[in-house]
Amino acid sequence: MAEQEEWTGTIGRVLLGATRGDGGTRSVQYCIGGSRDLPFLPGEAPCGKRPLIALEICDDPVLWPPVVREQVGDLAGDTAAWAREAEKTYGADLVRLHLTSTHRRQTPDPDGMKKTVESVLAATTLPLIIEGSSDPALDSEVFQRCGEAGAGERLLLGTAEADRYRSIAAAALAYGHAVIAQSPIDINLAKQLNILLREIGVPVDRIVIDPYTGALGYGFEYSYSVMERIRYAALKGDTDLAMPVISAAPDSLTVREVRDAAPADRQERALSWEFHAAFPAAVAGADIVCVRHPLSVKRLRDACSALAARQKGTPAQGGG
Amino acid sequence: MALKALDIYKLLPKKNCKECGFPTCLTFAMKLASGKADAETCPYLDEATKQLLKGATRPPILRVKIGVGERSFAVGEEIVLFRHDKSFVHPPGILFLVSDRQTTDEIRRVATRVKDEVFPRVGELLRVNGIAIRNDSGSPEAFGKAVRVVEETAEFPEMLIAGSPASMEAALAECGNYRPLIHAATAENHGAMCSLAKRYGAPLAVRARGADALRNLAGTCAAAGVQDLVLDPFPETLGEFLITSTLIRRLALARSAPELGYPVYLDATAPGLEEAALSLGILKYAAVMVTTPRNPASLLPSLTLRQNIYTDPQKPIQMTPGIYRVGNPTRGDPLLLTVNFSLTYFTLLGYLESSRISCFLLLVDTEGFSVLTAVASGKLNENMIRDSLQRFGVEAETGHRTLVLPGYAAPLSGRVEEATGWKVLVGPRDAAEVPEFLEQSWKKAPGG
Amino acid sequence: MTDIGIAVRNGREELARGMRALSGTLQHPETAYHLPIAFALTGIAVHDADGAREAYGKAGSHPLVASECLRAARIAVQGPEPSPYTGFVPDTVIRKLGYSLVDGSILGLALLTGTPDSPDAAAAIARELQEKYMLTFLAGSVVPVLQKAGVKVGLDYRLVPLGSTPDAGVHFADILTRVAMMFGGVAPGDAGRLVAYAKERARAFVVVFPGLSETEVALTDSLRDLGIPILAAGGYGGGDWIAVAAGQAVTRGMELRQIRVKVTAIPIPMACSPAFEGKSIRKEEMHVEFGGGRSPAFELLRMKPAAEVKDGLVRVIGPEIGEMQPGTAVPLGILVDVAGARMRKDFEPVLERRIHNFVNYGEGSWHVAQRNLIWVRLSRDAIARGLRMEHLGKLIQAKFRIDFPDLLDAVQVTLLTDREKVLAAEKEAEAVYAERDQRVLGMKDEDVDTFYSCILCQTFAPNHVCIITPQRPALCGAISWLDGKIACEIAPAGANQPVARGRVIDALRGEFEGVNEFVRKASHGEVSRCALYGIMEYPMTCCGCFECVAAVLPDVNGFMVVNREYTGDTPMGMTFSTLAGTIGGGAQTPGFAGISKGYILSERFLQAEGGSRRLVWMPRILREELGDRLRARLAAIGIPDLFDQIADEETAPTLEQLVEFLARVGHPAPGMSPLV
Repeated sequence: MAEQEEWTGTIGRVLLGATRGDGGTRSVQYCIGGSRDLPFLPGEAPCGKRPLIALEICDDPVLWPPVVREQVGDLAGDTAAWAREAEKTYGADLVRLHLTSTHRRQTPDPDGMKKTVESVLAATTLPLIIEGSSDPALDSEVFQRCGEAGAGERLLLGTAEADRYRSIAAAALAYGHAVIAQSPIDINLAKQLNILLREIGVPVDRIVIDPYTGALGYGFEYSYSVMERIRYAALKGDTDLAMPVISAAPDSLTVREVRDAAPADRQERALSWEFHAAFPAAVAGADIVCVRHPLSVKRLRDACSALAARQKGTPAQGGG
Repeated sequence: MALKALDIYKLLPKKNCKECGFPTCLTFAMKLASGKADAETCPYLDEATKQLLKGATRPPILRVKIGVGERSFAVGEEIVLFRHDKSFVHPPGILFLVSDRQTTDEIRRVATRVKDEVFPRVGELLRVNGIAIRNDSGSPEAFGKAVRVVEETAEFPEMLIAGSPASMEAALAECGNYRPLIHAATAENHGAMCSLAKRYGAPLAVRARGADALRNLAGTCAAAGVQDLVLDPFPETLGEFLITSTLIRRLALARSAPELGYPVYLDATAPGLEEAALSLGILKYAAVMVTTPRNPASLLPSLTLRQNIYTDPQKPIQMTPGIYRVGNPTRGDPLLLTVNFSLTYFTLLGYLESSRISCFLLLVDTEGFSVLTAVASGKLNENMIRDSLQRFGVEAETGHRTLVLPGYAAPLSGRVEEATGWKVLVGPRDAAEVPEFLEQSWKKAPGG
Repeated sequence: MTDIGIAVRNGREELARGMRALSGTLQHPETAYHLPIAFALTGIAVHDADGAREAYGKAGSHPLVASECLRAARIAVQGPEPSPYTGFVPDTVIRKLGYSLVDGSILGLALLTGTPDSPDAAAAIARELQEKYMLTFLAGSVVPVLQKAGVKVGLDYRLVPLGSTPDAGVHFADILTRVAMMFGGVAPGDAGRLVAYAKERARAFVVVFPGLSETEVALTDSLRDLGIPILAAGGYGGGDWIAVAAGQAVTRGMELRQIRVKVTAIPIPMACSPAFEGKSIRKEEMHVEFGGGRSPAFELLRMKPAAEVKDGLVRVIGPEIGEMQPGTAVPLGILVDVAGARMRKDFEPVLERRIHNFVNYGEGSWHVAQRNLIWVRLSRDAIARGLRMEHLGKLIQAKFRIDFPDLLDAVQVTLLTDREKVLAAEKEAEAVYAERDQRVLGMKDEDVDTFYSCILCQTFAPNHVCIITPQRPALCGAISWLDGKIACEIAPAGANQPVARGRVIDALRGEFEGVNEFVRKASHGEVSRCALYGIMEYPMTCCGCFECVAAVLPDVNGFMVVNREYTGDTPMGMTFSTLAGTIGGGAQTPGFAGISKGYILSERFLQAEGGSRRLVWMPRILREELGDRLRARLAAIGIPDLFDQIADEETAPTLEQLVEFLARVGHPAPGMSPLV
């Protein structure tokens, strides 16, 4: 083993968001990936680069974590305003919209969903991640509408799984978006899904790997190691794993430790619990880290900037 | 490069005399290869071979023990760069920082917290390991006094932070025999600090910025006869710590720089970034860390992360087998069988709790295997299920004889019914579907 | 009867004349692809007659380009056709269509063109296409003919009327080329990629009815350049069109383009799920039973030529449930015939074993054992709910189609319940079994040039790679070479990958260049050499789920093998679990290997070290389990006495006792060359 490991691979790049010049309406386009070394090590990239931070919002907050609803108040009922605040007040790099209304199976409302996506696109200038249908029966309709609503904006669409990837791949191909490919904490299944997506025609520079992230204390270590292994394998030359990684630990804010915390401590416990899965994910190499508590954004950004800084006084840029 | 068991075997006397405590030379060789035996215990090796074997089987990162007694902790002996390659070995010690400028009461309050505060989690007790006392006053007397206050409160590992050997000497006079970690030998004071460390047989942290400077200073201190060293790379930013500690770990594991084969220290008190620093240290090779006495609301997550990361990936945390209650189950509520693999248990628990279902969980001992692997390997079978039902007196709790098996255990259902005489329902494979399954099927089930 | 050869020649000439005479502006509405066919084939954005001629020239006077230009020119003069005709389909609609194609909600594309002789036959074709999730385009008189037959047309009905004349069929091609450019990343002008994409991805075919003009024949015929088969339902001869009866057109077209309808639900009055797999049916719950020594019964799966298998056919020959006496044992023969382009005869036994799972998935059906040892029961509850033998057949038939969609194109099932017929067919089956046994037994590593990998265990042992050969099953004992081969056929991107053996580096040790290369890659660079037939040098890595550990005992020049079930101590001084913990996790440990029980019986066992003569110790339960098979194996290599010379925990619990025991019984190993 040498001082510097010999790497033969490079993580592929994926572009997210389209500005007017690229045919969209976003204020910025991010380029994620491109690493040539382990996360935050000197060989990784020419300049210190921190991961992007996405704030998650939803169009139907009934099942959304109570600590977030407490924090955002009325915003929870106004998806567009919520998205605007994510950018203006909380300083997120990306907004990740979960169409949780698709949980209500009785009332699939593709037109309403399309309007929601359009209103969020109008409310924020940030690149968007859209989490479409949560019911396989609605996939085809929902992803078609989402894809169409965001045509030209280079959305990141979620979430493709091994037995559920055709609709989302179709939307990406038809309307020029990228896709999140999720596998259940298993490097080989991640690889397999990437191959399936490639075979259906999704180019590699449109795939972002989601290895699935368990909450801290609830299997997080498995996710952490899978992220490390994906980066390691990719750098060792496995091109089927050489895509950027997105990490979200959706259960962070509803674990027992948060629910049972004393009311006075609950917000701090929630923030800290979310941080302790999000920040380690960044250390493991996630290129996009998602959080749900709006106050987590700054906390995480400061920490990631400090990590990306080799010396004092060299500010790190998100994405780019 | 470490030697393989057979290479070592070739160097052994092959007498199978058992004097080393192992039944055969081959077993001894395998233990040596995995660092679980000492070449010294073989009476028939010549000195040259012994040294060769010791060099080849010496842990690439030396073990350093801090403190004495029950709360003492060991660090070092790590063997991998990534936990997935084998496992991380010794969880880093986390110490609360106090200053000798604080009042006696304040110091005592922190020390009492370190003594008493525990967080039970997944069958383990999570706690902070000890206390670090910093000589902010510059006065040896004040430093000594602060250490005394800590000493009076309880016995747990201490770390002494002072730049001046005189202050350090005053503190060591109070606690020097209890293996406190001395912080720190620097380019300026290493002679005096080494003498103190040797006099008390205490571990010594050496502080120098960057791997090269550390290598020189650690080499000097080792040559001066201090055996137990800890390396403080003295980083300016979190990023610098990550880079330096990774380099140190790499060089140490490659055995290409024995002077760096020691545990690493991180001062995690960076303002505003303390939980980030603690997380990074846990993830990336810190063995001893100092933090301010953090609010339990954010301390528990740090301790939980440490517990997660230092779990052996090949030996998942096991739950104690038995009956677990979810919500407030009463007689007649559903009984679900699952395995004692903690990830399975917690995943299932999460879904059950969030759907507010009251039920009984019977955790059977599959040695931490998941349902699928336990079924495949035969660890989960009808006889052990029958025995578990009896051993834990399940029927007395549930008041019925209907058992829900996990979906992946479906092939066992018939045999379980026959072996136990209980009615068996087969649940879904995915824990997420369990609440709906119970909603749909339990009410219909006889006995349910 | 139109002669295609002549019509194509004349039609091409006429198209060429038309191109020479072309004038005016040419434009399609709402598209970014200009005249899409010309644009895709040549990269030229055609807007006027000169541009059209340039593209036509560059495309080698292709009839598709000519037809596209001429039709565009005509529409420019005459205006678009009235509803229901769509004419040129705008890009936004194509995007949605393409979406449905990738998404799988449309399985493929069809074009119906010409004038059908029989309105009813045409309507049947249209309806069949609708039922099979095809998107169908219509050009020419077929539109009014269908409408008159009561068929509704329009995009919502997946029957898109392009135009009233067959030349509107050219839009079928402009749609395909746009799908290729939008979804396939085909660059305008890259004709090679376009053709490749259309051939591989665009699952399309054409059904032609009589009455096409010569230019229309030329246009239609040139669709073949995009890999689209042309099926002629009457009226044409010669050329490369495939003549079909109208009733066969859809089936044939779908077969040619390998378009398969997915089966999802099984229409039988019995729930069917893996959850019922372990459910047994006790005698009191049973309605009837088959086999189990109480009546003759067997099962047999065979591969047949496609023509001999009618997909979906289920027959019961002999008494149905109603004619069986409850509580009795009835004869049964389960015959499954399968066909498929990727099916191999080798796969038969592995697929046959699935009958066991499938029957057990039924809530009221139960199955044990295999071949002519099977024992099947049907429950009273299930029969009361209407279960018949026929349904059992349907269950088996459908499950094969659902579980092996890419491997099997057709499956038919015959259930024999007539005693005489069962007995006769069983004789035949026995011959097949015997032949298979012979083949599997005789299968040697040198007979194949591809091995299979297994990396399922990388979840636990990140760098472990199992190499599975005919003579060395996976070390967990669960996956044979054939299993690996089939798994790879079914999921080509899965955990079992083909490993080309490559050049022989060391035949004795079983070291091959291709295997080394594969292992190096799959172990992420951690392991660079792997010997398949030896343990002392570069042995295979060990995961954690091996059935046995083989370990060197240098003091006696031999090996011991200890199995997972044996919890006691070994002469080496380590138990199975201690040993497993020391050598597992994906490491390569010379002198030690994780192996399957089956491998102990293989000719390749310990080949590098001198073979079974080196086997000195194994736990009694393992020796008993292998019993006769091991005796036979040892006898075959001329050392029949060795079986009784192998020590166990009772004859030699310690190393000292082992040395003594081996000397006493005259075991050959101590006298062999030293291993270390």
